[in-house]
Amino acid sequence: MNAMIEQFVQTLAAGLTAGSLYGLTCVGLAMIFGIMRVINFAQGDFMMVGMYLAVWIAARLGGVHVFGAAAPFIAAILVAPVLFMAGSLLHRLLISRTTGLRAVGLSGEGHQAQLILTLGVALILQNGALILMGSSPVSIVSKLSSRAWEIPLLIDEDSTLFLNQARTISALVSIGVAFLLFRLIRQTGIGKSLRAAADNPEAATYVGIDVTRAHRIAFGLGAAIAGVAGALMVLSTPAQPFVGTDFIIIMYAGVVLGGIGSITGAFWGGMVIGVVQQLSTLVLPLQLQNAMVFLVFVLILLFRPQGLFGRTVERA
Amino acid sequence: MLRLDQISVSYGGLRALSDVSLDVRAGELSAVVGPNGAGKSTLFKAISGTVPLQAGHIMFQGDDLHEIPAHRRAHMGIAHVPEGRRVFASLSVLENLEMGAATDAGRAGRVRSFERIFTLFPILAERRAQMAGTLSGGQQQMLAIGRALASCPKLLMLDEPSMGLSPVMADTIFDAIHQLRREGDITILLVEQRVTDALAQCDRATVLESGRVVLEGLASELSAARLRQAYLGV
Ligand SMILES: Nc1ncnc2c1ncn2[C@@H]1O[C@H](COP(=O)(O)OP(=O)(O)OP(=O)(O)O)[C@@H](O)[C@H]1O
Ligand SMILES: [Mg+2]
Repeated sequence: MNAMIEQFVQTLAAGLTAGSLYGLTCVGLAMIFGIMRVINFAQGDFMMVGMYLAVWIAARLGGVHVFGAAAPFIAAILVAPVLFMAGSLLHRLLISRTTGLRAVGLSGEGHQAQLILTLGVALILQNGALILMGSSPVSIVSKLSSRAWEIPLLIDEDSTLFLNQARTISALVSIGVAFLLFRLIRQTGIGKSLRAAADNPEAATYVGIDVTRAHRIAFGLGAAIAGVAGALMVLSTPAQPFVGTDFIIIMYAGVVLGGIGSITGAFWGGMVIGVVQQLSTLVLPLQLQNAMVFLVFVLILLFRPQGLFGRTVERA
Repeated sequence: MLRLDQISVSYGGLRALSDVSLDVRAGELSAVVGPNGAGKSTLFKAISGTVPLQAGHIMFQGDDLHEIPAHRRAHMGIAHVPEGRRVFASLSVLENLEMGAATDAGRAGRVRSFERIFTLFPILAERRAQMAGTLSGGQQQMLAIGRALASCPKLLMLDEPSMGLSPVMADTIFDAIHQLRREGDITILLVEQRVTDALAQCDRATVLESGRVVLEGLASELSAARLRQAYLGV
């Protein structure tokens, strides 16, 4: 019995740490969708870019003694401004041509064009990475990856929860980044103008908001979040050019589960996926863990079609 | 204060406005009336810059608006309350007003303008924390007007503010417009279907039909009969 409890707690902890990272990736996607109404197929590939970039930065920092074990996490934070700028630039050059007030006259409000465009960006990033980085996986070797904190479970003498240090710190950083982002969106002037631009781009223009700029910020933030999530992920999942496609499905599932348009919801959606995925390994073979995720996905949406945090506020 | 000089606007080859000229004088209330599809909303969008001009010029306080992007025009003092209200549904009433007050003039005059808004529409003060999307249609219209006033505009453009409202609620809105006109510091351009109400209030009216000005003049000179004639084309 105690052994079972121990295993359950252990698996739950693994689910929560994985879920925090998934949650952050979902937040990135939800950010872009929530503000711009653009489904970004390249989101997983932004993550992949973040992974490679983190490996590169961490290798530079790792040599410097003062950073020591913190190097991968410092790298993850440094990835953010780089991807923010890359994302904003991509928006300026390409994405903005199919979105915002410009899209008003286009067929389907530009959605087809956006879809093809972001798919194209995804393919370019994947194949670009293949050319530049080759197909063999790379990752960050950190001594934290092979160390665990041991937390005694008070049920008996020798039951212990092992928390992998690298994964646990990654999870905490994810939660921190997501929290900062929620604060930004909820409480700051920039956040409010992003939400206003999302609610109604035309009316936002009439109160003096530069909607194109708001979208550029949202796209940059979305890319930055994907990059940071990738950088944290690369401590446990090796980077390879097509790694993004493994995650994009999870991201979509998380965003839909959390409630389309809700950025907070997306985090919890990702969290649910992480937890379900891990817990399912207790009762099902490993290969079926994603099947379980989608079973729970369908069940939740059956009872709450608007998702966990779906807005019930009417949209103009 | 605002002068439109022979402007034309097209939507993908279809003319919505042809050679429209209009002169709006400071401190006046000007009305634009006309049947559905006449191009009234398009005229407002052209002034706000959300549809491009095909020909002509728009001058606002001596500046040609041609090179000025739409979102900058709000900062110059043009406030547009669009047709169908369009409040920011997921923001609270107060946050909606704050978004309006984000212009330079709005920031500076914030205390006075909020006082004015809440005096004009006390319900907004009561509901300040409520999500705008959950307000009734009439309350949303008040909020949309309040949001525009929060920017401390020089020109206020109201596109069919009584649309879809009960007669009582529409009267409330008209009273508010009347009040604003009396205070006199804001020039108002009004599009209205309730022609009689609009005409009773305005200084000057323009009748638009199929994208052209068919009649214009001082409200006092435009008899209901002439207006009806222009309107119905008989
Ligand atoms: N985005 C658009 N794309 C194509 N045509 C448009 C668009 N917006 C308006 N039109 C057309 O332009 C013409 C003028 O429309 P507008 O909305 O300005 O009329 P309106 O006078 O405001 O009418 P209403 O009283 O019904 O509000 C109409 O024929 C309309 O179909
Ligand atoms: Mg109209």
